[in-house]
Amino acid sequence: MMPAEATREIFWNVPFPWLMYVLLVPTVVVGGWGLYRRLRLWRTGGPAMRWDRPKERLALVWRHAVGQGRTLRRAYSSGRASSSSSVFHLLITVGFVVLTMATTVVMLDHDFGTRIMRGGFYLFFQSLTVDLFGALVLVGIGIAMIRRWLQKPSRLVFTDEASAILIAIFVVAASGFLVEGWRIAATHDPWGPWSPIGYLIAQGSLAVAEPSTLTTAHAVVWWGHCVVTFAFLAWAPYTKLAHVVTAPLNIFFANLDGHAASLRPMDFEADDDATLGVDDLTKMTWKDLLDLDSCTECGRCTAACPAHTAGKSLSPRDIVLGLRDLMHDGAETLLAAPQDDTDNAPALPILQQTGALSAESLWQCTTCAACMEVCPVYIEQLPKILDVRRYLTMEEAEMPPSMADAMTSLERRGHPYPGTRLSRIDWTDGLDVPVMSELDDPGEVDVLLWVGCATALIERNHSVVRSLAQLLQHAGVSFAILGREERCNGDAARRMGNEFLFETMARKNQALLERYGVEKIVTPCPHCFNTFKNDYPTVGGDYHVEHHSSFLAKLVDDGRIQSTQAAEHNVTFHDPCYLGRYNREFDAPRQLVQISTHGRTPEMEQSRENSFCCGGGGGLSFTEEPAEQRVNRQRASQALATGASVVGTGCPFCMTMLEDGVAAVTGDLPSDDAAAKIPADSMPADSMPATRMPAKRMIVKDIAELLWDATEASPDT
Amino acid sequence: MNILVCLKQILDPDIPARDFRIDPERREAVRGSADLVTNIFCENALETALQLKDAHDGMITVLSHGSEEAEDVLRKALAMKADEAALVLDDDAAQADPLQAARVLAAAARKLGSFDVIMVGRESGDWGVGQTGGLLAEELGVPFIALVEHLDVDEGKLRIRRQTDTGTEIFEVTPPVVISITNSENNLPRIPKTRDVMKSYRKPLTTIAVADLSLTPSSDSYFRLVEISVPEKETRCELVEGHNLEQRIDAFAHRVAEIANTTR
Ligand code: SF4
Ligand code: SF4
Repeated sequence: MMPAEATREIFWNVPFPWLMYVLLVPTVVVGGWGLYRRLRLWRTGGPAMRWDRPKERLALVWRHAVGQGRTLRRAYSSGRASSSSSVFHLLITVGFVVLTMATTVVMLDHDFGTRIMRGGFYLFFQSLTVDLFGALVLVGIGIAMIRRWLQKPSRLVFTDEASAILIAIFVVAASGFLVEGWRIAATHDPWGPWSPIGYLIAQGSLAVAEPSTLTTAHAVVWWGHCVVTFAFLAWAPYTKLAHVVTAPLNIFFANLDGHAASLRPMDFEADDDATLGVDDLTKMTWKDLLDLDSCTECGRCTAACPAHTAGKSLSPRDIVLGLRDLMHDGAETLLAAPQDDTDNAPALPILQQTGALSAESLWQCTTCAACMEVCPVYIEQLPKILDVRRYLTMEEAEMPPSMADAMTSLERRGHPYPGTRLSRIDWTDGLDVPVMSELDDPGEVDVLLWVGCATALIERNHSVVRSLAQLLQHAGVSFAILGREERCNGDAARRMGNEFLFETMARKNQALLERYGVEKIVTPCPHCFNTFKNDYPTVGGDYHVEHHSSFLAKLVDDGRIQSTQAAEHNVTFHDPCYLGRYNREFDAPRQLVQISTHGRTPEMEQSRENSFCCGGGGGLSFTEEPAEQRVNRQRASQALATGASVVGTGCPFCMTMLEDGVAAVTGDLPSDDAAAKIPADSMPADSMPATRMPAKRMIVKDIAELLWDATEASPDT
Repeated sequence: MNILVCLKQILDPDIPARDFRIDPERREAVRGSADLVTNIFCENALETALQLKDAHDGMITVLSHGSEEAEDVLRKALAMKADEAALVLDDDAAQADPLQAARVLAAAARKLGSFDVIMVGRESGDWGVGQTGGLLAEELGVPFIALVEHLDVDEGKLRIRRQTDTGTEIFEVTPPVVISITNSENNLPRIPKTRDVMKSYRKPLTTIAVADLSLTPSSDSYFRLVEISVPEKETRCELVEGHNLEQRIDAFAHRVAEIANTTR
């Protein structure tokens, strides 16, 4: 006979149900200690201001912890997208959320006497929905197992812990289904079919076993399920699964000010003895430490890292994991260490001889911020790298020799190119470009055209700034340059870790700009742009600064520049990191590309916020790298793969890096050692990860050049 | 070991050629927007001194003769870990006269104490006269060894290795002595640590007005600067022609021979 109302008996056939409540106590204590143990460590960290703007923070948690926005984004590896990674995670998470809700329903019904587990709700939610979502967990686990044990993508870390977690989740979910199925079988549950998976198990089991056997098996497996689940809950906080708690926390405390705010301002006046930079885990902030405990070991950052992809030893994931291990191994030191600031030997030294935390690896970072862009839990890898660089540069004066030369040159002559024979005004030859110091009333000038060292002192870029200057003249913009008085604004010094030099340079520049009453700056260099926009305000300089792409785009919108002779070639645009990822300017340069050509404008596999660095940021453009590990070649291959004949860009560093990269990949115009190593008609297979492109000519052009060429007034070229 | 290193501040010799201009009237280079730097050979001297101190202990005093801006040079030396610094303020210091410079340095050195080794750079990157060291030794009445690339202390004596046209010479000298240092791969100036740069600004710096050195005005200088000019350089580019590589090489060789003959 069918009972009047659908439900099931909680604790049916379970001997000693009270024992479950007893076991709950150690579970909560052990699991709780696991979390508290982490919290204690974070609290030893130094201060960080992350409590402001709570609404924005909650919204971020909603999007990226609950909604898993970043987890679901496609992950990239070697320029190719992979997507299965995020699906399994979503299945498991959503499945577990629903299972947890089901457990809560049971608790409310049984322990709090609410009697809600009945009727339609019982059938539709507690039976059908829960059953299906439980099945999703199993599917998710299946995908994860295939990935981890069969596909083995290199971005994962292969630990026993990770495998054990998969097995544990599988056992928990599968045993749950067995318990359900055998209950349905043994009780001839009339509502059984509402739990399709359980019902299938019931039918299958009844075919091979007596109901009485299943009753016994049910009791045994019920307890097994209970014990395994409790053990799992107690253990999870000690594993990377702690991210269930730490990830939302970390996302809540994320850096809301964009990648450019990665570098903490330093106070050189404050404390004479404080170590400059960070070489000691005990000197990190609480947010740094929370970061470490939030890592899910997903490896997205390392897969996105251009240096890593190019075969170097840098790996942002392993930096985070290395520091995390250091934090837990040194827990006692952390808890004991008084936050004193003397330059004694570090209590928990960060730098290692080899591996992810070696100086060698940390110097390979181009500061492209791709790692932070993809991290699903908003871990900030770059500040940690740069803090150690600050230590190396400022406390130890230890850096790669070519960077040291660039730094010395910055110090002495305000540009990073020792030995250049070019002067800052060579590019102006034949153009009538006003120079501030020669004007009667520099205050009258609307716009300072900030040229930048890499534009003025690398010959290839002269035509970029010539195009730009002529476009400005053509559009009737009142502008002037600083000419010989211009000095590096300090970006290179800052990214190489010399904050002191950066501040010195920034102060000098501010004094100079003040002298000429400069308020508005336009620059063809994204690094200069970013420095004026985001770094100078931290040292007291506030300017209205624009990258030439957005400035030109406005002139085009206003009809002051018209494209009358657009070209026919296909152009793909390479987003400079400091323009795109750092300052979210993706559209203006594309708009300029669009109007400069009638051809196609295909996108590279990785573009916009997923753009792949040219390899030149962070001082790396001043170094000589092993040919087979050059990031620019990777990017050049991606550009060539679009079939375009022109790569557009908007950065003097990208310009030279990409030109070299294209030349090396196509064997078109062998440059430096490419000439020796790469014969024009064959490429050694191991020197390029992507297949060799057909030797097709491709040129690199700045958006200003493209636009100027398309403007009728351009007889210049 | 008590060491004095003389440091000269000069106009950055590495500025691009087109930024370099001279003032024929004043017979000097126009500063323009060029930066002032420490003369590189003086930095080699300082590095040599620092290495000597690292190995054998000692005290390094740095001395500069220049304008107020020369303080930068001394601060940088302090950042590299020189112990004391003194500046002889003299607005005429930029002039080329090595005898005058040597007299000022000698008087300042006497005022500052007694030194076992006085080091100067081989020559300065601006005028390149290269005589201050010898004249300084003369003024002080001590021996002089030029173009030194290495020195070591051995039982109170100095073992000094100097470069010659044909090789090296090694001297053993009892201090005091004046030596001029040349560049070698072992005395590239070190990069100071930022911490030390910051500290350098808080270290004391002795300033001496040149008038306080009670030098008798020199009318006897053997050195007079008559005129300066920038040499005109002309570059012409010629392309040799030919249908294939061999012909072009031939044409090229002929042309080179022709030019060699006409200029001989
Ligand atoms: S900033 Fe770029 S280069 Fe540096 S670790 Fe992150 S992804 Fe790699
Ligand atoms: S730092 Fe972020 S992206 Fe990198 S492995 Fe950890 S969770 Fe993944």
